[in-house]
Parts: sequence; C-alpha cells; structure tokens
Amino acid sequence: MTHVLVADLGFGDAGKGTVVDWLCATGVQGRPVAAVVRYNGGGQAGHSVVLPDGREHVFAQFGSGTLRGVHTHLSRFMVVDPLALAVEADHLATLGVRDPFRLLTVDGDALLATPYHRAANQAREIARGAHRHGSCGKGVGETVAYSLAHPADAPRVSDARTPAVLGDKLRLLRQRLEEELGPLGGPPVDATVRAFAAFGSRVTIVSPGFLGHLLGVGPVVFEGAQGVLLDEWHGFHPYTTWSTTTFANAETLLAEAGYAGTATRLGVLRIVTTRHGAGPLVTEDPSLPFVDPHNPTNRWQGRFRFGHFDAVAHRYALEVAGGVDGIALTHLDLAGPALRFCEAYDWTDRIVPGRRGDLARQELLTRRLLRTTPRYAGPPVDWPQAVSRALRVPVVVTSHGPTATDKQVLRPNWAARVRRAAAA
Amino acid sequence: MGSGVWSTDVYDAADRYRRSTGRSAFAYSDSGARTVHPQLDPRGAVRESRDSAEHPESISIAVLFDVTGSMRDVPRVLQTKLPKLLGLLLRKSYARDPQIMFGAIGDATCDRVPLQIGQFESDNRMDDDLGRIVLEGGGGGQMTESYELALYFMARHTEIDCFAKRGRRGYLFVIGDELAYDRVKAREVRNIIGDDLHEDIPLRRIVSEVRRRYDTYFLVPHGAGHAGNPKVLSFWRDLLGQNALELDDPAAVCETIALTVGLGEDAIDLDAGLADLAEVGSTVTASVSNALAPVARGGRVLSTWGLPGTLQGDDRISRL
Repeated sequence: MTHVLVADLGFGDAGKGTVVDWLCATGVQGRPVAAVVRYNGGGQAGHSVVLPDGREHVFAQFGSGTLRGVHTHLSRFMVVDPLALAVEADHLATLGVRDPFRLLTVDGDALLATPYHRAANQAREIARGAHRHGSCGKGVGETVAYSLAHPADAPRVSDARTPAVLGDKLRLLRQRLEEELGPLGGPPVDATVRAFAAFGSRVTIVSPGFLGHLLGVGPVVFEGAQGVLLDEWHGFHPYTTWSTTTFANAETLLAEAGYAGTATRLGVLRIVTTRHGAGPLVTEDPSLPFVDPHNPTNRWQGRFRFGHFDAVAHRYALEVAGGVDGIALTHLDLAGPALRFCEAYDWTDRIVPGRRGDLARQELLTRRLLRTTPRYAGPPVDWPQAVSRALRVPVVVTSHGPTATDKQVLRPNWAARVRRAAAA
Repeated sequence: MGSGVWSTDVYDAADRYRRSTGRSAFAYSDSGARTVHPQLDPRGAVRESRDSAEHPESISIAVLFDVTGSMRDVPRVLQTKLPKLLGLLLRKSYARDPQIMFGAIGDATCDRVPLQIGQFESDNRMDDDLGRIVLEGGGGGQMTESYELALYFMARHTEIDCFAKRGRRGYLFVIGDELAYDRVKAREVRNIIGDDLHEDIPLRRIVSEVRRRYDTYFLVPHGAGHAGNPKVLSFWRDLLGQNALELDDPAAVCETIALTVGLGEDAIDLDAGLADLAEVGSTVTASVSNALAPVARGGRVLSTWGLPGTLQGDDRISRL
C-alpha cells in the first residue's frame, strides 16, 4: 500500500487543495484514502476546494478531503489554531458535513497558536514597516519561535485538557511577549482558556502512536502547507516561514510509525509561478492578465503576485526537497500566448542548495535573486512535456479547472513509484 | 499560502464549540421539564450587574424573549443566535464591559412558567441560562402575554451599577409578537415573584419606571404569529416610540441588538456598524439596516432615543 506525500514546489497556492480533493475523490491505487494528515504550517493555509456541485471551501486546518468525508489528522508538526478551527468547522457544517469534529483527530503535542502570539506577530510586522516579510499575520511563526525559546512553557494541544496548566502558560506567554513588545491587547487569559477548553473537550486529542493505526488502515495523504520555496531553511531568507515545508516532517512521521519508504511524493506546481507577499519572484510580470479570487490583497501579505513559470526556482525546490516521484501540474486552463517559460536566469540555470541552516548564505542568495533577470523561452505548446523535461520528473496528473473532474491522469500507475530511501 | 479566511475570536470560538455538540440548546426544555429551572426562578430573586476590578465600567444588557406558541420557531432561532451577542459587542468594542442577561416571557394567566430570568454575566456563562429556558408553547388566544410582569421584575428586582454608580442606563430588549396586559396584577406578582404587592400597577407606570434605568426596546420578529399585525407594532410604538422595532429576520437579532448598543454607547454610527457587519460576513445586514433605519433617521441617537411617543408625566426621560 502506498501513501502519498503532497508538497508545493513553489511559494504556495499551486493547488494542493484541489489535488488532495482529487486524491480523496478517486482513491490511491484503487483504494479509498483513509486520512489526510497535515504535517506543517498552521491555520494560515488556504487550500481551495470546489466540488462539481459548486460547493466551495478554503481549507485552513481541516484536510482538503473533508468534503469527501475523509478523516483529518493534525500531526505534532502542525500549529493548531482552535479559534479559527471552530469557524472553519461551522462553515463545513453549512456545506453539509455532518459534525466535522467527528472527522478530526489532533496530536496532543502540537503547538497552540494563541491570540497573544498573533498580536505579537502583527506588532512585529508593523514595526518592520516597508520591510515586511510577507507574514500572514496569524501568529504561526511567533508560536514556533516561542516554543523554540521556551519549549517547556509553550502551550500545546494537550494543555487544553487541563485549564489550570493552560492558564499559567498563557499568562507567562503574554507577560514575556509584552515585556519584549509592549502592551499587546488581546482577550483576557480566562476567556482564552475557556475557548481552548471548549476546543479540548470537543476534539479528539490523540497520542503520537495514533498515526500508525491510520497508516495501517489505508492510503494516507500527507497534505503540505505553503511551499518549498518558503521553507524556513531553504527558502529565500528572510522572506520565509517558520515551518519546514519540504517533505522532511512527513518522512519523519512515517519513519516513527515504522512506515519509512512507503510513500510516493507528489510535487504540485502551477504553470503560473505566484507569490503572495514580499520577497523574490524573479519572473514576476504585473502585465499578466490573471486574478486569484482566493487571494485578495490583505493587510499582512499585500498583493498577490503573478509570474511566468520559473523552472530555475522550481528545480531548486525539487533539489532541496530531495526530489519527487511525480508532478501534479495545475492551472493548465490559464495557458496562452502571454504565459512564458523561464529556463534560466541571466547568471545561472541552477541555484545550488546551501548547507541547511546557513541563513547568511540564503540572505545573500535572496539579494542576488532580487537583482536577477529571467531568460525566457516562448510559451510551450505542450506544458506537461516542457515541465517534465525542464525538471526531469514526469508530470503524472494535470488540472484544467477547479474540481476533481477537471483532472487528467497522464500516468495511470503513478502511485507505484515509491522512494525507497527515506530522506529526512 | 492563504490569508487566513477564518476569523479568530475567543468568545466566538467558545460559542461555536459549545453549540457544535449537536445537543439541542434547549436541553432542559427538551428533556420534558415543565417547571422553571431553579437558576431562572424569579421568586424572591434580585439580579445584579456589578462593577468589578476586571469589569470596572459594566453596562447591563438584558434580553427577554417571548417563548409562547405564537412565536413558533423564533425562540429556537434566537437561542442559536444569542450566544454570539457577547462576542459581537466585544469584538468591535461596541461596549467595554457588557454584562448580559437572558430571560423568557410567557403568559401568567395560563402558562406554568410565565417568567424565567437568568443572571447578568460578563462571559459566556449566560449561555447556560439559555439552555435552561423552558419553551412554553402555550399562551392565550387573545394576543396578549405577560410582558408587564417581566418589566416589573426588571424595574424592581434588578440592581445595576452602570445606573446606580454612573447614571448610565442599561439596555433592555424584549422580543415578542403580542400585546402586554394593561396592568401588572398584584396577585401574579405575589404568586410568581413573591412581593407583597397590594394593588395593580398600570402598564404605563411600570413602563416608565423601567425606562428610568433601562433604554427599553421591543423587537417584533417576522416569522412570529402576530408579527404582521399592525396592532402589535402600534401598541408598542405608543409605549416606546421609535424603540419599537420590526425585525425582518429573527436571525439578525444579535446584530440588531449589538448595533443598538453600539449606537447607544456612541461607539459607532449606523453606517459604520453596518460596514462592520459586512466585514464579518454577516448576511443579515439588510435586515438590521431596515430595523434600525427609523432610529438612525431620528438624528443624534442619544438625544432622541428613549423619548416615548406620548410625552406625559414622568415619561419625560432622555438619555444624558
């Protein structure tokens, strides 16, 4: 049985939601998907799914297979936002998902994003002024940063079961953040504790061993958030996220459960390279005639930016992610004479990955990319072939519209390719 | 990478988790209870809304709704919507330290539970009171319910610091679709509230008494039995002037109440309030706009609200 790891090889927004929905609608190697596991990021994800009957949901924490009735598991690598989760569950209920929380399990070790993290995140972005990092303003990075500085004091999902402990942690957290940043506002701690306790009594909180059971039941889809080019270590620092966006976390979870080497890796790319927020986008072209209804300009990230297909950047993403077994290529309905294909930059056709953790080098790279000019080939006639050739990976499925029925499988046996060596 | 489309608010989230249990929110009533829950019994009770260190400038907001049969499914709609009220008020800073109380009104002449009164609470605990309310489904056939008894309780059995300490009136919202009886009957007060009252009190007098301490509104929701009857609205207009409002959509009750409080507290004007609603994705903006337009047209809200349709005697109250 093959599990599937899904990650975005760009800056996010490539269509992970629609790909996961399609997997859950059609199954993997003839077997229904047992669960969707979130293995990074937090409530800032925005994975759009549209059903053929027109129902639509932007998945933030629930897995993108929820409308197909597929279970979601939030792993310990996920930053859980109980407040946003409640709203998302209500929206799913209005779409006809009966009792969405029935379809959810959460690892007790996962970090909790709190209103105080969010306030701190926003205070920092405001202080950065014009030098914003393109943060979503949801406090995910702040949550991770705090947990690294104070691992024992970081509020975790299991704390929602013990309000006294949670209250102490929240008071300490708020005090520390305010000592650093000044008054942050936010709701009284008691009110937050009550809301989080309501979350704790409503959702099923599980131990790390639970994932092993899921992996035994049927194919599990690991749904990544954001994109590899935003990775905390390999992204273009400082325009990155506080999250590992490669397959590494998913591989770790598989290995811990004794399922190393049982997954096929699917990289998602759209034929238009996009970026929401600040930072390098070498192929950016404001004259491209596109809009993205799911990514309006917002206060924290600013404008949604469109660029031509950047094979150099995606090649780099592939390399730092340790390769994929197949590519899901989306938004083929946008192909046209305006959209070009960047094979090389003015100084290279390959960005060489640096040592993991060398952020100074990543920052130099970022500066260079901000001065880089792309070299274009004309619009490809056969997009899947052009992408396969440029990245040396087969395009196994293409997406020509928003719903699962708009997908075309180019390699029927795509899931059989399994990467034996578990990269971490 | 999305932009975080799902809103994040601790009060709102707590409500949502509570409501998501799938259990009827009228659990007490649905369990077959036909007597008032001890927590909501008005007998010998005083309901207090006090300032505290955490809530130094409390403002009292009472929401009482008719639970008799003529209201059809409106009480259940209200029950699902009212838990949003606190979150709405706080999120937009319409009121600084709101303390909210819920209660229910029946018919003292024939119902078993003619008056149910919760506690003023600064957090979501008053939602528990909502769950304890018994739905009567009774009521007489004469288009009259015991609203006057509820007004009597509010006038004489509540102590609110916003008024006592700071001279600021609280807010009383009565949601119903019928007329009040023309006087508070001493016998009913003795039986239900336990006061040793020897003579009846005319309706107008108790209305004016309660309006000294509460800005009082009567909301008539469409979808209730007598909502379309012009007699009901004109009856309450005569007593409360512009403060008798029609509500197109009972689902808009929270937004209407929140905006009314926001206007009264001078926190917003109507346009800003409606823009707030649109921003949070409210689908009831039009209903709220319709309900509150006559009030907003009256010019500066604080000086015109609270003036009864007929000015006589001690009814001459205006908010300072």
